This record gives sequence, structure tokens and C-alpha cells, in this order.
Amino acid sequence: MPPLLQLASVTKSFGAVRALRGVSFDLQAGEVHALLGENGAGKSTLIKIITGAHSPDGGTITIAGKRVPQLSPTIARKLGVACIYQQPALFPDLSVAENIALRLESVALFHLIDWPERRTRAAELLNRIGAHFSPDMEVRHLSMPEQQLVEIACTLGAGARIVIMDEPTASLTQTEQVLLSAVVRDLCQSGVGVIYISHRLDEIFGLADRVTVLRDGESVSTGPVKELNESALIKLMVGREVTQTYPPSEAECGEVVISCRNLGCSAGGIHDVSLDVHAGEVVGLAGLVGAGRTELAKTLFGITPCDSGTLFLDGKQIEIRSSQEAIANGIALVPEDRRRHGVILEMSVAANITMAIHRRLFPGTWLRFNAERAEALEFIRDLDIRTSGPDAPVASLSGGNQQKVSVARWLATNPRLLILDEPTQGVDVGAKNEIHRLIRRLAKKGMAVLMISSDLPEVLGMSDRIAVMRGGTIVAILWGQSTAHDVMAAALGLEVGAQ
Amino acid sequence: MAGTGETKVLHEYRQAMTVLGKSLRLRHESILLLILAAEWLFFAAAGRNFTTLDNTFNILRHSVEIGLLALAMTAVVLTGGIDLSVGSLLGLCAVLFGTFWRDAHLPVWAAMLLTLGAGAAAGGFNGTLIAWLRLPPLIVTLGTFSLFRGLAEAMTRGVDTFTDFPASFLFLGQERWLGLPAQAPIFVCFAGAMWLLVHCTTFGRSLRAIGFSPEGARYAGIPVRSRVVAVYLLAGLTAAMAAIIYTARLGQAKADAGVGYELFAITGVVLGGVSIFGGVGSVHGTLLGVAAIAVLNNGLAHVRQPREVAGMLTGLLLLLALSGSEFLKRLATRRDRCQPSPAATEKA
Amino acid sequence: MKAYSREVSVALTLGGLLLGLAIFAPSFYQAQPLLSLAAREAPTLVAACGMALVILCRQIDISIGAQFSVCSVCAGLLAGAHWPIPLVLSASITIGASLGALNGSLVAGLGLPSIVVTLATMVTWREGLRWLRQGIWVDLPEGFQWFGLRQSAGQWTIIILALTVLVLLALFMKHLAAGRFIYAVGSDAEAARLAGIRPRRITFAVFVFAGALVGLAAMMNVAQSPQVDPNSGTGLELKTIAAVVVGGVAISGGRGNLWGVFAGLLLLACLGPALTHLHVQAYWEKAIQGSVILLAVVADGGHRRNQGSP
Repeated sequence: MPPLLQLASVTKSFGAVRALRGVSFDLQAGEVHALLGENGAGKSTLIKIITGAHSPDGGTITIAGKRVPQLSPTIARKLGVACIYQQPALFPDLSVAENIALRLESVALFHLIDWPERRTRAAELLNRIGAHFSPDMEVRHLSMPEQQLVEIACTLGAGARIVIMDEPTASLTQTEQVLLSAVVRDLCQSGVGVIYISHRLDEIFGLADRVTVLRDGESVSTGPVKELNESALIKLMVGREVTQTYPPSEAECGEVVISCRNLGCSAGGIHDVSLDVHAGEVVGLAGLVGAGRTELAKTLFGITPCDSGTLFLDGKQIEIRSSQEAIANGIALVPEDRRRHGVILEMSVAANITMAIHRRLFPGTWLRFNAERAEALEFIRDLDIRTSGPDAPVASLSGGNQQKVSVARWLATNPRLLILDEPTQGVDVGAKNEIHRLIRRLAKKGMAVLMISSDLPEVLGMSDRIAVMRGGTIVAILWGQSTAHDVMAAALGLEVGAQ
Repeated sequence: MAGTGETKVLHEYRQAMTVLGKSLRLRHESILLLILAAEWLFFAAAGRNFTTLDNTFNILRHSVEIGLLALAMTAVVLTGGIDLSVGSLLGLCAVLFGTFWRDAHLPVWAAMLLTLGAGAAAGGFNGTLIAWLRLPPLIVTLGTFSLFRGLAEAMTRGVDTFTDFPASFLFLGQERWLGLPAQAPIFVCFAGAMWLLVHCTTFGRSLRAIGFSPEGARYAGIPVRSRVVAVYLLAGLTAAMAAIIYTARLGQAKADAGVGYELFAITGVVLGGVSIFGGVGSVHGTLLGVAAIAVLNNGLAHVRQPREVAGMLTGLLLLLALSGSEFLKRLATRRDRCQPSPAATEKA
Repeated sequence: MKAYSREVSVALTLGGLLLGLAIFAPSFYQAQPLLSLAAREAPTLVAACGMALVILCRQIDISIGAQFSVCSVCAGLLAGAHWPIPLVLSASITIGASLGALNGSLVAGLGLPSIVVTLATMVTWREGLRWLRQGIWVDLPEGFQWFGLRQSAGQWTIIILALTVLVLLALFMKHLAAGRFIYAVGSDAEAARLAGIRPRRITFAVFVFAGALVGLAAMMNVAQSPQVDPNSGTGLELKTIAAVVVGGVAISGGRGNLWGVFAGLLLLACLGPALTHLHVQAYWEKAIQGSVILLAVVADGGHRRNQGSP
């Protein structure tokens, strides 16, 4: 049986940049073929070629045994290629049923709409993937994981044979991931081939049949996933030995910096949160999506102020009603959504880094461009931010470097408590390591760090203590030596320690 | 969830605008200077008495009010908003000023102060609805556009006119002070202050941040709500100032003062290179834009073209400026498309 | 019912207003004046439908007043040149569509923001018309008024025409793919593009269609008097935007329907005469119109917050 998809010696360059140098790739029916590689390795370009968004400079594309000379998005769709991106491209004001219908129906302008049929088909597709929301709901009101399920429903409905999933679980975690894996396996049962891109190695080992590793535009390895282990994979990706160990803690645990007692925020859905974070300590905040971790961060930082409970800083009671008050009290938050909240893409690196320290750097409200430049250059050096200069717009930086700018902004405020919400999400292995080492350095200097992460190994490897949230409150506080099992159990509401 | 597509498209537009950033903006302002120079040369040759000092002062006098509105509008548009009510507010403030002076028998300076206060309050009303209730600026200011004018008409019952202001007051709009039209120093001071506010203060920087990304600004500790209220309040205050100068210049205050002025102001602002989406723009650009319109209007009057031709040409000039700017941007990004930025290849 | 809650509240407000009138100013309810009121507002309804489509598409068109004036004057001139009525009608619609096409090509083709484009075209058409016609009214030939029918027959024709347009468009927006595409583009143009819908084409078509509706509305207006007022379009954009906003169409696009616009227009149309009959002076009209817009949009904001949208 011919492979669903076959790429032979595909090359693609953008001006002087050679994104792909003769990559060969194939996808068999019914398999999950993982695609791995660092940022800049060529994954995104390869995917764009498969979906027809780019045309290759050289090489051939064969779909279901037939050579395809010219591939465009429309042709690709007709041939059964579908791609599910991290950000669902849905219509927020329209219902789920209409969203699915608009993807699947023809784009002829003058055909009549059959509303009952739309609803039935949507309900049937949602049922097949185990989604529990009504097809009449407006997409605006769905959570991110639910929206991804709608995307998958569209793919299912389109009868796609070649399904590409680009980091689908980046904003999901364990349970949702498990659910998604089940859906993916179900898809494969019916003969669909899935190209799966993910930075989560445990996911790859759990789900994929084969794995291809790209490095610098070339395919360096293709083979069954059973034949590899984690360190081998990383070595292939990075081209050198990199141990996936986390830097050890050298910090001394000091006095309590921030302490909350029965903190609650009805708008954020959190209640009765009691937690202490000490100077020099890294507290990991674990839990499933929807447990309230980001909401707690937003409450501590004043974006959604608390309406019950008390907050103490260095033993004194404080009130935080806005982000300005939080900053004044020495609390900083590096937010989860880097592009929308972490940085302002259109402004320069220097402007972004100094955005939160106007009062200190520019007393009397007059901007001082020299002082700003100096401050920015210092952070560019300290954090090794790859940029053409402090005046470059942050949009021109890669994701990992944008994250560093976001972190630099908050380090500039010299916070007592630094809250990091998914600091290494969507960041490649090399930069991840740098961020982890940075966190250790900060802790050693006496900063209190609260780190939210959905990456269990990261939580276990980096935290001195782990606070597990479930249903808007903290259900367990574990020590760093706990196992993944303990954390998961607490997150799911089971007995910790039970097998 | 904000429309991701809309954000993506806007982000691409803005990224392109900023990546070309300084060079393009400089180009835009240079183009404006060229247009201004071309207009001046053309009318100097074609018209009589165009280049006299008297005429230059005339141009200045007639453009002070719109210039003030355009400057305030620049700050508003930089935050990604818009204020369609400034012309109507000018009318309302003119009527209020007349009422304070004539019917409440207040001295002129007190009437002026109260008017400024009223203007600020009206602007604050706009700002509160927009910032605290999170309502779209276009519709809110469309509503107040109608409301303010309506209040002015209701107060004057549609017919009343305030006249016979004291000569010391009319001096402001009609006489000269140290050889220049009296309103000129006021305008120059205000323009200078605005320039400093927008380009050299943390306030100005925060306006741009809010324009590019209101949520991003909030997460960076910028007090978004109070800044937004402040810019609309400033716009209201400026409209009141413009109303006082208008009344001084014409010697009378009626409910139809300032009709259509918001359109001129927005035209000057957009012509000056301020992006309607927010974040991008400059005060000097706006000044050039207003100057271009003012010279065009005055010059056409000098070559005996009717007012309507000036209006038509202004509209066409705006379209040309926008289209031209868009073409230049597309040419530049097409060149850069061969070499994607690191961000584009990021997920590869 | 939840989906139509906004339309229902507007209808209830309208009902309250009508009830109040019945009690305090029963002189409002006279057949002929009401008929004339309805006929006078019929063109506004047609134009408001066009504006609703533009706003649903996440754009705005503040030039429709100027378009209306241009089409009215052209229709009047052609009628004066003894063109038969159907040809005059087609010409008016075509002119409106062409003006809309210009807006559409700049907004969709060049990606320029519609507020600025339509501001520029508004000023250009308005000043151009004033320059060419110097504000002179156009005399219409005998037999043109009311399409040559008796006045009440003519009025009923116009009213029924407007209602037909409303019903057809409402059905089109709900049951025809093209209508749904307008909602899609207004909700998220990028997602629409990825789904194979062409946002630029849809946007262009919406502007053209709205222009055509304005041309039709202009004709419906011209047929109601023996002369054409070149300023007849003044304030039309504000009236139609008010009706659309009061009717629950979101200014950000993608949400709302034409029944709400109808209810909103009825409410605003009855306000003027209601004020007269309640002995409120005419010069309060603008202030009240502005307040209604503000109230509607504040209610919208509150409604959205209660539904828990981000």
C-alpha cells in the first residue's frame, strides 16, 4: 500500500536562508509520525510545503501514490491534507455548528443553508470525539481546549487523510492530553496518517509510531520511536550531548516574602488559597488547565484583584488592586501569552525592557534615551538576547528571545516575588536550559520565585516545593522529591501515595 | 477571545509598519513636506497676494482651531481610539461660554475658566464610557457628537446668538500681539507642549503602548484606564480652548460653531501619518498635515476657486496620501519577503 | 429566545413608547400622518439595511449620506430629461453601486481603514455635488411623483417595497451562504480566508450592495415630492448607524440581525413625532438621538459583560 504522503529531496530557500536542504519524508496510513526539531530546524517550512502554502524549490511531492506537480492550499485540501494549528482559527461570534459547517461546506456563494442538517452533523462529530458542549454555543464562550476539539471535529468531518497537528497540546495538560491522544489513535484506526509536532518528549514516546528529527534543514533521523530514548532524541535534535537534567538548587531558603491566607477572587474562580513563598525558594505551581493557576498569578499581580482573604508582604498586610500596586510592592509576573501580554511586539527591545520601570528610570516623566539604552544593553548582555540592537522591534526576535525580553522587563523592576507563567512554553531545548539556569541564579540571589508549569518534569526538576491546585484552590503542597505520580494524583483529586 | 485572525492581520500590518519603522515614517513626513512646498510654490505663482505676511497670518488664524483639535486628536488616535465629538463639543462650549458671560454675567476670564472645565468634563464623560465601560470609541463619540450639538441647539433654542463681547476679549482672535496674530503664541505653546508630551514623556510612551496592545500595556503596569480617560479629557479641554478662540475670532457664538471641524481634524491627523489603529504617528506629522490642508484651502481661495473645490481636493488628497503610503509599505515588505525574519522561521 | 433578547428589548421599548403615546398624545394615531411618516422613513430603512451589512462585515460607511444626495440629484435630473421611471430607478441603483464600488476597492483592495476612506469619499461627493449644483433644487416633471399613482397608493408602494427589501435581506442573511459569509468575515477575516472564503471579495461586494441599496432608497425618496433637495442625504449616516446600533448589531461585526435594525429604526422614527406630540421642542431632537445611541451602546456593553465574554 503506497504511503499517504511522500516527500523526496525537498529544498526550499528564502533569499539567502536555506530552510530545507533536501528533506525526504513519508507518512504511512494509520501511523502517528512525530516531527521533532529545534526552533529554526525547518519543521514549519516543511509543514507549509505539505499544506501548499509554500511551493518547494526542488524535490517532489507524492500524495497517495500520485505525483503532485503544483500544490496549493485548495488542492491540498482536496487531496485530504488538513492542519490543526496551535491557535484555532474559528469564528468567535458564530456557533460551533456554523464554524464546522463553514469549514466543510462549499464556498459557493449562492447555496441555501440547511440549518437542521448543520446542527445534526456538528452534534455527531462532537460526539465522536467526546466533546460535551452544545453545537449551538458561540465559540467565544468555549475554552481553549474546547476550541481545539472543534478544530479536530472539522478535520474529522472533512475526511482528511493526512492530518498535521502543530503542537496541539501546548495549552492542554495531562488529562486533556490523554483525551487528545485517544482521539488521535481513533483517527489512525480509520487509516488516517497523523504528522505530530510537539516539544513534549513524553508525549512523543506515548503516542508516536515513528519519529523524524530535523536539524538545520536536514532530516537527521527517521525511525520507529521504540528504538530511541530521550537523551538520544535530544542529542539528534541538538547535535550534541545535552542532559535533560535541571540545574541543582544552590539557594538558601530565607524568610517568608509573600504569604496569602484564604485568598479568593470570584472573577477568577479561585478561593481559599493559602501559600507562603520564601526568599531564595522556587515554588512550582502544578495542576490541570482550569485549576486556577494563571488566575492565582493574575490575582497576586493585581490584574484581577482579590475580593476575599489577606495578603502579606514581609509580614505586613497589603492590598493589591492593580498591576501598578503589585509592581510597587515588588511583585512581577511574566505572563503566559508572550505575544499578547508579555511584550509589545511593535515597540523596540529597549522600550519593552523599560516598560515597567518608568518611575525609577525616568523620574519626572521625561524620557531619558541614554539611560534607557544603557539599561537595555545590560540586559541584552546578561540574558544573551539575540537581537540586532536595543532599537530593534521585538517582533523581529525569535520566540525564545522574545521571552527573554519579557523576563528582562520584570527583572529590571528588582522584584521580591517573581511569578513565571509557563516560562518555557514553545521555547526550544537550548533556550529552556538557559531560562532554568537563570531561575536558579535569581533564587540564589534571594528572589522568591513562583513558577507555573504544565511540564511535569520541569516542575519536579526545578521546584523546592510544589503547590498543586485543583478547582480553584491549593489541594496539596509537596516537597520537590515527590514523584510525578504524587503530583498527578493530587491534581486529579486522588489520594496522594495511593497506587 | 479576541478574533485571532483580526489580531494576526493587524499584527502583520503593524509589524510591517514598525519594521520599516523609522525609515518609512521619515519618508511619510518628507512626502508631506514636499506636498506642502509644492502647494506653496503653485499658489505663489498662480495666485495674487498669496505670499504676503497678511495672508500667512490669515492662514494661521483660520487653522488654529482645527490645529488644536487635530493635536488633541493625535493623542487620542495614538491610543487606538477616535473622537468624533470634538467639533460638536466646540459648538457646545462656545454656547456655554456665551451663556456664562451674557446670562450669568460672569467676567470674561471666569467664563473662560468655566468653559474649559465644562469641556474637560465632557471629554472625561467620553473617556469614562470608553475606558471604564469598555465601549467602542467610534460609537460613543458618534453618540456624543449628536448629544453635544443637540445640547447646544437646545440651549440656544436653535436661534440664539451671543455677540457684543468686550474688545479685550476679541483681541484674542482678531488682533495682533507683538506682530503676530494673537492666537499664534497660544497655539505654538500648546503645540510645543503636545509635542513634548507625546514624544518625550512616559505618558506619551504609554499612549503608544496602549495603542499597539491595550492588554500588553496593562500587564506591563501601565494604568490604561486612567490614561485613556486623560486623553479624552485633554481632547475635551482642547475643544473648549478652540471654542474660546473661535468665538474671539468671529466675534459671536452660535450653536453651529465648529460644524465639520472633527472631519478636518481627522483628515489632518491621518494625512500626518498617524495610524488609525494606534501606536504609530507623530505630532509634527499632524502639524504638517493640518498645514497642508490649511494652505490648500487658502491657496484655492486665492486662485478664485470656490470652497467646494477645496473640500473635494482635500478628500482626494487624503485618499492619495493613504493609498500612496500603503503602496510604499507593500513595495518594501515585498522586498523583505525573500528573507523572512527570525520570528517567521521560529517554529520551523 | 435568548438569541433574540436584544431585538425583543428594543421591541418592548418601542411598545412602551407607542403605549405612552396612546395615553398622553393620542393625536399621534391618525391614519394619514402615520402613513406619511412610514413612507418618509421607508428609504431610511432600506439604507439602514445596507449599513447593517457593512457593519456586520466589520466595516463602516459614513459616506452614504453623500451617496444618497448624489443619487437623488442624478435621479431627478434624469427624470427631468424624461427618462422612463424604470430606467431612472436602474440608473440610481447603478450610480449608488458605483460609488460603493469605489469605497469597496479602496477598503478591500488596498486594505485602507474604512472610517478614513469613507470620510474622504463623503467629503469629496458632498463638496463635488455642491460645486456642480450650487444647492439648486431639481424640479421633477409632472407624473413622476408617487410613480404617477395617487399619493396614498404611492406611499403604500414605497412602504411595501421597503418591507420587501427588509424581509428578503433578512432571509438572505440567514439562509443563503453569501449572507453567512458576511457574518464570518465580520467575525474573523483571517479564519474566513483560511476556510476558503475570500474576505476581500465579500467586503467589496458588501460595499457595492450597500451603495445599490442607497441608490434604491434615493429613488424611493425622490418619488415623494415634486422637487429634489440636494441636501436630502444629510444626517443619513448618523440615522442609519443609530438604528443599526440600537438594533443590536455589534460595531465589531459578526453579530446582530436585520429584525433588530428594523425595530431600532421604528423606535428612532417614532421618537421625532412623539416628541412633537408630547410638546417637546424640535431642537431637542439631536440631543435625544445622541442619548438613545449612548443608552443603546451602554446596554450593549452591560449585556456583553453579563454573558461573560472576555
